[in-house]
Amino acid sequence: MERTNSRTQLVIHLFFVVVSAVCLLPFFLLVTSSITDESEIIRNGYTLFPKHISFAAYEYLLNDASAILRAYGNTFVATVIGTSVSLLIITMLAYPLSRRDFPWRKSLSFFVFFTMLFNGGLVPTYFVYTQVFDLKNTLLALIVPYLLLNGFYVLLARTFFANTIPMEIIESAYIDGAGEFRIFWRIILPLSLPILATVGLFQLINYWNDWFNSLIFITDRKLFNLQYLLNKILLDIQFLSTSDLGGNQAEMIAALPKEGVRMAMAVIGVVPILIAYPFFQRFFIQGLTVGAVKG
Amino acid sequence: MLKKMLMLFIAVALVLAGCGSSDKSASNAGSNSGSSVNTGSINTGSTDEAQEENDASNLPPYEIVIAFPTSSSQTSGIPEVEQAINEITKKKINATIKLMPYSYASYAQQLNLMFASNEKLDLFVSGVNGAYSSQVAQGSMIPLDDLLEKYGSGIKEAVYAPFIEAARMNGKLYGIPSNRDLAADRELLMRKDIVDKYHIDLSQVKTFEDFGQIFKVVKENEPDLIPLVLFTQISTPVDVIASMYFDILGDRMGVLEYGNSEMKVVNMYETEQYAQLLNTVRSWYEKGYVQKDAATTKDTGPVLVQAGRAFSYIKQSKPGSDTQASRQTGYEMVSLKLPPAYSTTNLITQFLWSIAKNSQDPERAMMFLNLMFTDTDIINLLAWGIEGRDYVKVSGNIIDYPEGVNATNVPYGLNQGWLFGNQFKSYVFKGDPEDIYQQTDQFNKEAVKSPALGFTFDSTPVKSEVASVTNVMNQYRLGLETGSLDPETLLPQYFSEMKKAGIDRIIEEKQRQLDEWVKTK
Repeated sequence: MERTNSRTQLVIHLFFVVVSAVCLLPFFLLVTSSITDESEIIRNGYTLFPKHISFAAYEYLLNDASAILRAYGNTFVATVIGTSVSLLIITMLAYPLSRRDFPWRKSLSFFVFFTMLFNGGLVPTYFVYTQVFDLKNTLLALIVPYLLLNGFYVLLARTFFANTIPMEIIESAYIDGAGEFRIFWRIILPLSLPILATVGLFQLINYWNDWFNSLIFITDRKLFNLQYLLNKILLDIQFLSTSDLGGNQAEMIAALPKEGVRMAMAVIGVVPILIAYPFFQRFFIQGLTVGAVKG
Repeated sequence: MLKKMLMLFIAVALVLAGCGSSDKSASNAGSNSGSSVNTGSINTGSTDEAQEENDASNLPPYEIVIAFPTSSSQTSGIPEVEQAINEITKKKINATIKLMPYSYASYAQQLNLMFASNEKLDLFVSGVNGAYSSQVAQGSMIPLDDLLEKYGSGIKEAVYAPFIEAARMNGKLYGIPSNRDLAADRELLMRKDIVDKYHIDLSQVKTFEDFGQIFKVVKENEPDLIPLVLFTQISTPVDVIASMYFDILGDRMGVLEYGNSEMKVVNMYETEQYAQLLNTVRSWYEKGYVQKDAATTKDTGPVLVQAGRAFSYIKQSKPGSDTQASRQTGYEMVSLKLPPAYSTTNLITQFLWSIAKNSQDPERAMMFLNLMFTDTDIINLLAWGIEGRDYVKVSGNIIDYPEGVNATNVPYGLNQGWLFGNQFKSYVFKGDPEDIYQQTDQFNKEAVKSPALGFTFDSTPVKSEVASVTNVMNQYRLGLETGSLDPETLLPQYFSEMKKAGIDRIIEEKQRQLDEWVKTK
């Protein structure tokens, strides 16, 4: 009995070792190729164990370290403020929609749903944000457009509220004399950690990975966010190496670790989100284990 | 159910109403600024007849917004350059400038947004990626003839007249080319050490077919070296060499054969020359002279040479391109040029300076543009940045980086002297021949002018055909032109697919427009 047990365990372990390797190896390759000597990459392709290690790619990126740090700062501010404010807005919109005793429930839901199917398109959006709200070249331009990014999250939260929080809890709070706001803050939100974590994680990633808002609303290099800056450097290098525009750009191209930079940028972009993931996972588990109505 | 339907109607109505009103406000804004342009011209028009010196004090202060594409990430030094230029422009035309650099990748989109939302924009670079005709069609810029006459005397002096005329569309000028290389021949760039090692006699090589002899030597003696690689994915050897025989008239769909006086638009892919070029490249490919993954690789020629994997590549050429290639690859490169140089509309309308329809003071924009072609200080500030910080003078008009500064960390590293007006008046960077600009100027003027120089094809009437032919071209062109596909069987197939996609309609339309252009010329 014990033997078969250990054998199954071995198989299971082996299986998961392989699965983990499949997940981890590409990432490992990313890191190693970011520190591989450029000419080695071009000659031999990417390898897990580079012969010549070179930090030229990082040196190039950090050469303008202040720009990268600033971009990190912009992304960080936009992500933290954006995620928390959008969570607040989403839940505050979703909660009334989930209440059966809310009179405008259907039409408002439809309104939210409608935005999932149709939007204004790029030019009107740009026009409204730049001309009406004057958000061009402000940090707000990185935050506001994603605050209500997707009606989907509102409907997700609404469904969660409607299905997992029984009316009885709300009624009992009423009986104890709680107002709507107190109920929302003290009862609903603490009971909704799983959906908060889920939507929060989505929004966090949206904000972290956003480069489009920077692309269209920001021309001041001090306000570029991280992904846009990295994307811009990457595209510029690509363009430089295929262009024939002359001058001493040629020299610059020769000096650039083109392949390595790509990888180094991915590393720089991904590290903070790697740190954030386990943090959120904790909430996932917590949220799932919290129960209110027993039996 | 009925309720739901009603709701839907109301929602749709609301949305439509929203769209309608935003459209209205947009057009209002447009007409408002339009009228302000008019009043502006009336106000300044009366005073501008006088001398420039007197003008400066009479003109109200104005900020000229300038949008241009750049591929450089080294833009942190721009504010200081703006300041230095402002000091000059305040005195001369009582204006300040604001530089707005955009990535090439996002430039077209940014421009569209700026035009659509009527943002403040005065000068901008039009024509990037062949957008000139559509930008004219959309009315993004204003005609420049009168302004050029009034305030552009320096421009007319600096730019060779046929090149200014080349940008004329529908009888009007919408853009002015900068002084740069406005013609092109073609060349094979090779590693000099290898050429010397095997005593390859380049004087024996006269034609494209003769290149094969060189590749043969390299293939036999240097097994690790690929004899020929692509310069970039867009410029295949066949495509580059085809410019010896054809003016591609914008998009390669229907071309003009040089030496044919009839001005007849033909399908390049059906011509004898093209088939011959394909056969040559195919035979090289079969002998292993061309890189095997030429049709798919993203690595560029210079990168492969730099890494020690390749011997040569073929590209469009201009004066000084061999020294440039040497710096780019880290190997000394020797160039084998195939004359003659041709000057075509494409080369000129690639980058033009235009005044945006959004401009509130087109006169001032033209005045500044004039300074970009005449004022040596402004030209050098825009081309190289601030003396002492971005460059130091070595001797005469030769400059170099200051100590501790290099191409990857210079604060103002745009390196776009060729774009900002009159490059021929700027300093020469160390390493380039001292007389590079005289050479270029001469090269431009001596280049054979294509008979269709000045003709810009407007593809809007055959938009859908262009789209489907482009798809066919994407499918076949790269494979055929790198020798990876066998022209024997696939070239006929390429024709018939093109025919199905409507190439004849495009050629017909192009012929019609060309005939009309010839008449008005």
